[in-house]
Amino acid sequence: MRLHEYEALDIFEHNRIPVPRRGLVDTMHEALHVAGEIGYPVILKAQVLVGGRGLAGGIKTASTPDELKEVADALFTSEVKGMQVRKILVCEKVDIEQEFYLGMTVDGYSGKPVIVVSTEGGVLIEETAMTSPEKIAAIHIDPSFGYYPYQARSLLRILGLEQKLITPWSDIIGQLYNIAIRYEALIAEINPLAVLTNGGLMAIDAVLEVDDSALSRVRFPLPDRVDRIENPLERRGREIGVTYVDLNGDIGLISSGAGLGMASMDIIGQKMRPANFLETGGGITADLMYRCMELIMMKPDLRGIFINVYGGINPIHEGAKGVIRYMKEHNVKIPIVAKALGNRQEETWEIFRSGGVHVVTEVATEKAVEVLYKLVGPGKKDSGNRKQPRP
Amino acid sequence: MSILMNDSTRVIVQGITGRIGSAQTHWMLDYGTRVVGGVTPGKGGTTVEGVPVFNSVLEAVKETGANASVFFVPAAFVLDAFLETIDAGIKLIVIVPEHIPVKDVLKMRSYASEKGVFALGPTTPGILVPGMGKMGIMPASLFAPGRVGIISRSGTLSYEFAGILSENNVGQSTVVGMGADPVVLRNLADILELFENDKDTDAVIVVGEVGGEQEEKAAGFIGRQMTKPVAAYIAGRYSPQGKKMGHAGAIVRGSAGTVTGKHEALRAAGVEVLETPIHVAKWAKKNKLK
Repeated sequence: MRLHEYEALDIFEHNRIPVPRRGLVDTMHEALHVAGEIGYPVILKAQVLVGGRGLAGGIKTASTPDELKEVADALFTSEVKGMQVRKILVCEKVDIEQEFYLGMTVDGYSGKPVIVVSTEGGVLIEETAMTSPEKIAAIHIDPSFGYYPYQARSLLRILGLEQKLITPWSDIIGQLYNIAIRYEALIAEINPLAVLTNGGLMAIDAVLEVDDSALSRVRFPLPDRVDRIENPLERRGREIGVTYVDLNGDIGLISSGAGLGMASMDIIGQKMRPANFLETGGGITADLMYRCMELIMMKPDLRGIFINVYGGINPIHEGAKGVIRYMKEHNVKIPIVAKALGNRQEETWEIFRSGGVHVVTEVATEKAVEVLYKLVGPGKKDSGNRKQPRP
Repeated sequence: MSILMNDSTRVIVQGITGRIGSAQTHWMLDYGTRVVGGVTPGKGGTTVEGVPVFNSVLEAVKETGANASVFFVPAAFVLDAFLETIDAGIKLIVIVPEHIPVKDVLKMRSYASEKGVFALGPTTPGILVPGMGKMGIMPASLFAPGRVGIISRSGTLSYEFAGILSENNVGQSTVVGMGADPVVLRNLADILELFENDKDTDAVIVVGEVGGEQEEKAAGFIGRQMTKPVAAYIAGRYSPQGKKMGHAGAIVRGSAGTVTGKHEALRAAGVEVLETPIHVAKWAKKNKLK
């Protein structure tokens, strides 16, 4: 789960990383008040959970109260990368001499945390990695021993930076590493990390993505965890315990595995358009499948549904009962094609067929999607102008 | 005949008394797997599906001669149980559960590598050797004995590929789920190496998905060291950027972890890239696989 910038900056400040003076506002009146206290010029930053926010117009400077009114009004009434701006962080504008990138992430291939420094701050690190990899230095940390200051010295040496900055650098890298460990972050980023005209370092921005699997044991308050999901259907998915990703087609999809779900989506996409991705995980029950049907049917103008499940860990015969119950209670008219293989498959087919579901018994998903295609046809090229929600 | 599991594999089931552990013990026994014991602290002395349950892994190993373990332990207790299992001398471990914190997985991986233990997962369907046995949750009806190896990041897609091959009379030597988390206990290249050295495997299928760089790194190994034909399918072409597609590891970040990037790396290594799963049947026919 990615935290908002204002939450991450608070955590950084608590852990002794220098950050700008700032205030979180959700009205113009508050914005004027906070800016007055901090002193002009100020920077207004839209608090939306997207990357590349600056380029998308989500960060603005205001030098006077009049300018602030104009800028804040524009931000509050605009969308940044498709997301509505509800909160703005008003920050002091500091004098910056140079901008760096500092990040910690987990390297899946080596199985170790990795600290990355780049002399190119304020741009996406993936871009620097492609265009000028010589500006990036990375060092792996042994998870059993943690971070030591010599590693900061190595990083600076690789980048040819002045070793007199070593103490502030070493401190800030150590703090960031500690934060990442304590808050179980998969990504902790400062971009840009500014060298101020007075020589100090300051985190101008803060990114913290907490490991979803560790949320229950991280000791800090995280209110409105579910409310962070902007899309109401995706929020509902989280509530019932499945992964739902909203897409802009008109073929509903329920799958019992993430890989199978992605492949189904890819295959549907060859001739039709998936309305959603839905992955049940290993906890299928009749009730869960009933709620999955309810969820995918919330999408208007669905033309057909494809159910693709395997009975490995999941009792698919139970799942089938839930689907049939939903269809009966809601008089579902659109075609439903199901491919259900594995433990207790024959029993599952029987249940599906009794409710009018088209059962395909071949293994290849392509064959089942072809059956659905024959039932519903290609449909409209584009189903409406609805914007696809983004993270 | 197979990789990882063979005739002398004696399996214990950790978390055997749970709902999933006991159900899966039934299916593993049903498939002919030598399940010799189970472990649930506090439930020692009972039996599940006729299998004796022990309070500790060490006890289970001493009493049954077990040398492999499959986990159905709740995520929060996996790290603890994993360390216990390694200390008890088990050398092959399959971690089926999902939602294990990455910080725990880093420790598990580091300890397993230090102690020379081969561990798979988390979030893996396990290992299945057709006609011989399985450690994990793969539904046996889809598999058939033969000479094609399968490695998959996704559980359900490993069933799909094995099933398509079986329908076309092409059997499998071993099917391995490597796990779908951002950090797994063994890299793709490690498992490819086992297949490359297995005299009873003629070709290998890699079933990948968006996110991470396992496929890209494995391409390097394939290009340098593999002599057997390799085909690969990568799921998630239509996955929107920045969305976690059900698996914690399946996420496209910027330009990293895309289907296109993985395809390019694999093609450069001489891998046959399959645009859609059903193409695997044609590939098997072309390579005269059985």
